[in-house]
Amino acid sequence: MTTPRNDPSRVYIRGMGSIAPWRTTADSAVAPAGARLTCQEPVYEDWIDPRLLRRMSRIIRLGVTTGMMALREAQVSMPDGIVMGTGYGCLEDTGSFMTKMVTFREEALNPTPFIQSTHNTIGSQLALLLGCQAYNQTFTQGAFSFEHALLDAVLHVKEDPARTFLAGGADEITDISHALWKRFGVFREDGVRSLAMFKAGHGVLHGEGAASFLLAGTPSATDRATIEGIEMLYKPSHIVLQHRVAQFLAAAGITPADVDVVLAGASGTLHDDALLLELCRTLFSDSSRGFYKHLCGEYPVATAFACWLGADILRTGQVPAGVLQVDAGRTPRYVLVFNQYFGTHYSLILLRSCHATA
Amino acid sequence: MEQLMADLKRQIIEALNLKHLTPAEIGDDQPLFGEGLGLDSIDALELIVLLQQQYKVKIENPQDGPKIFRSVRTIAEFITAHKPA
Repeated sequence: MTTPRNDPSRVYIRGMGSIAPWRTTADSAVAPAGARLTCQEPVYEDWIDPRLLRRMSRIIRLGVTTGMMALREAQVSMPDGIVMGTGYGCLEDTGSFMTKMVTFREEALNPTPFIQSTHNTIGSQLALLLGCQAYNQTFTQGAFSFEHALLDAVLHVKEDPARTFLAGGADEITDISHALWKRFGVFREDGVRSLAMFKAGHGVLHGEGAASFLLAGTPSATDRATIEGIEMLYKPSHIVLQHRVAQFLAAAGITPADVDVVLAGASGTLHDDALLLELCRTLFSDSSRGFYKHLCGEYPVATAFACWLGADILRTGQVPAGVLQVDAGRTPRYVLVFNQYFGTHYSLILLRSCHATA
Repeated sequence: MEQLMADLKRQIIEALNLKHLTPAEIGDDQPLFGEGLGLDSIDALELIVLLQQQYKVKIENPQDGPKIFRSVRTIAEFITAHKPA
């Protein structure tokens, strides 16, 4: 295996890890879904010291474990920074802390849920576990949280390509959060978790998951993909979104025709998906097009899962059948993650194969 | 006293999420911190909260903490001596 040529403008995904309702591209089984899609969790003791594990709530275990997976795959023991994104934050500990405040009338409150209820706990626990005293940041911009985390890490790596940065996103469902979301009636509850979900137009299942990426400024023989660009748009009009997608791709030196696979973050809701699906049809008519939210559900950092899926498609050269809606039969060189969240937050993440020629 | 110590062991395991232990594996006089169970300062805070929530017992002087939390027996003795009637 030969080491690819160094390109200082590129950021390489050297390692990655994901915990989601859908485990791997090789295993098409999605976690059983009732009213929500929950993660298929690993044996955490394989990744985290049991003495530290006992204090960690589920989202911390999810986030920290994916971070450890990414580091192990990249064979990096100490990153130069840790950047996480979470839209919901650490809900289980927040719920526990708030419930006890009411039950015990704001007296005798347990310290652990309080300490770990803050959004930055995942990144902090990773730093404690690794003994990493470098840059540590958590972004909490709703459905742009992962994109901001990724962008921050990419900028750091581009500034000094000798650096490696760990970037990730994590969100969890809890009984309390699901009960609250249920009152809004935005998520379907019939357990449908296949591509058929998008035909009915009745919305997506409530989901959760975590994914982390070890980013490097220099190539290695085992890189998964490169990150070519990240873009976010809030409530864009049709014309603005169309223009910005073309602009975004042009900045990466390609046109819509060069995109081999589009992973669309459709939610199965006719109203919210309309703009996204129309642009997918018109701009990317020659590309393979697929969905991913039937595999992971809807949550603020679902794009972290999509980014993991896109990078894995580029690594294997195969698009899983359970993802594809339209198969153009093209070899994946460029994968575009094109997400929308409740019709307000739109984002683009462009990934490129490490084997693609310039 | 025996029943109180048995209850305390079960409550400590639950409050501190010591799932790898059973109540029988915690000795009555075994040190809880340092070389014993290896608990730390956050665990100490959790134990203070446990005494308040379960037994309505408050530790007025923080200096007494190390003495009270030396073992399950010393905690039981403190509860017995200070539990409200």
